[in-house]
Amino acid sequence: MRGFVTLVSKHIHESRWMLVLSAASLFGLGWLFVFVTSRSELEILKMLASDDDSGRAQWMRNMGMADSPNSLSIMMAFWNHPLIILTLSLWAINRGSSAVAAEVERGTMDMVLSRPISRSGYLATQVLYAVVGLALLASALVVGAAVGVHYNALREPPSAWSLIKPALNLTALGLSIYGYTLLASACDQVRWRPSSIGSVLTLGGFIAYVVSMIPVLQNQSWRPYLEKISIFKAYNPVELVTTGESLARNVSILAGIGAACILLAFVVFNRRDLPTNA
Amino acid sequence: MDRSPVIVTEGLTKYYGHLAALEGLSVEVRRGEVFGLLGPNGSGKTTAIRLLLGMLRPTAGWAKVGGFDVWRDSLEVRRQVSYLPGEIRMYQSMTGYQMLKLLSDLRDGVGLDRAVAIGERVMELDLGRKIRAFSTGMKQKLALAQVFSDPVDTLILDEPTSALDPSARGLVLDLVRDARSAGQSVIFSGHVLSEVEQVADRVAIMRKGRLMHLEDMHERKRARMLLLRFQVGATVEVPAMLELHPRDQTDGVLLFEHQGALKPLLEWLAAAPVDDVAIGVEDLQSLYDRFHGPGALVSEHGA
Repeated sequence: MRGFVTLVSKHIHESRWMLVLSAASLFGLGWLFVFVTSRSELEILKMLASDDDSGRAQWMRNMGMADSPNSLSIMMAFWNHPLIILTLSLWAINRGSSAVAAEVERGTMDMVLSRPISRSGYLATQVLYAVVGLALLASALVVGAAVGVHYNALREPPSAWSLIKPALNLTALGLSIYGYTLLASACDQVRWRPSSIGSVLTLGGFIAYVVSMIPVLQNQSWRPYLEKISIFKAYNPVELVTTGESLARNVSILAGIGAACILLAFVVFNRRDLPTNA
Repeated sequence: MDRSPVIVTEGLTKYYGHLAALEGLSVEVRRGEVFGLLGPNGSGKTTAIRLLLGMLRPTAGWAKVGGFDVWRDSLEVRRQVSYLPGEIRMYQSMTGYQMLKLLSDLRDGVGLDRAVAIGERVMELDLGRKIRAFSTGMKQKLALAQVFSDPVDTLILDEPTSALDPSARGLVLDLVRDARSAGQSVIFSGHVLSEVEQVADRVAIMRKGRLMHLEDMHERKRARMLLLRFQVGATVEVPAMLELHPRDQTDGVLLFEHQGALKPLLEWLAAAPVDDVAIGVEDLQSLYDRFHGPGALVSEHGA
């Protein structure tokens, strides 16, 4: 148990600044998007209520926003913002790639695993810290939004509790990204490769989802496939605060992908050779 | 002292694809023994060590440390073993003390006081400095302080003096002798033959992943090497009771190895038609050169 706690402390010591800065960024973004919602609520409502069928209005409807959205659903549309996705993805990819491949590459894995620490125990400390970090980041966004609601006037101020569902969905999205990056890391001995794999899969998935929502492409036969291959299809904060029906499905899909990849990473890591960093 | 084997390997083999990194290694390391591992880079020493630590999975054969299988019971093995890697890599943002504490905590918090004492008093390190400010030699000293303070049965040292100055090398050899006196077994892998010669009880010479030769250093130190130049045209018959074994012949000079009693040899020499004689001991370099020297004529099949 002492070794377990020591390793978690070591992980915190190594990446504490990244965690603190990422959490601060998400707190700020949470606040900022409440501020933006407060300032532009009426304009957005007017645009959606009009007969205007411009690309912008249609895009917003594609994101799940109804013609008469409440303040919370307008706010949630901003939770799809690339800055939020980027901050969370950076954490997930960083922790995933550093868990095994980076430690092997810099030679510190030898030092840790020459002590009486099981491989599973070592990886469990990495997973625990990364997942708690993801939850903390999503919480920072919720807290930022909740504080923002307190200081900015909204037509229908949401409760902090109503932000939990989208935050859970965001955490599950991060878990999924962390999962496939960790799996790549568990197989590798250099950091750049799992980092690249994690980044390409995440960016590719995001681009695929964005392209699938472009109004002029709605009638293309390949559009549904493009949408389905993206994990971002299962991240829909606007829908969660309107009907809330997809929470269980979305979280199950994302957490399922993450958990399956993490499980596979354990299997791979326990069976693989650990070469010298040379 | 109990001299039962602590480490046993049998046909231990590691292949990477078709490349044999280690092939059929069968050795025993006894309790309280310093076991030298010699060989050039790529001879299989580090592969053997990593197999013992459970970092690599054997392709064939098996190895046990303290009765535990090195792959299946790797955790138990690492409870009994402390390892010094050939290339020391540490967390740069930590201080020397934090590093020792981390390593100690990964072994349930044991050995920290001793590690700090060795680090500060023996190795003369400033443990308050960040690792990133340490030289390669200082990092090696820090790792050595930890290894020699671990309360384990076996120490595995992969090139433990490679980055050290001569005085620190002497300290390390003293610590190895202390470990042996305390009943610990030590695997000492290195390239500096004179150091291995000073501390090792037995030496294994590796080549291309195979064990070529196993030498008992105590028996070796008992052996004498004789260079004899006989009178031209003399016919010489060496009595078998002298235990004088011919090793080499160059330009009329014969090299013998002698492990028998000294008195009969001196009596025979006094009567033999000898023009010149030189008596000495063979250093480890000569033995090593038999397998790795420029004129090495060795079987690829190993010992």
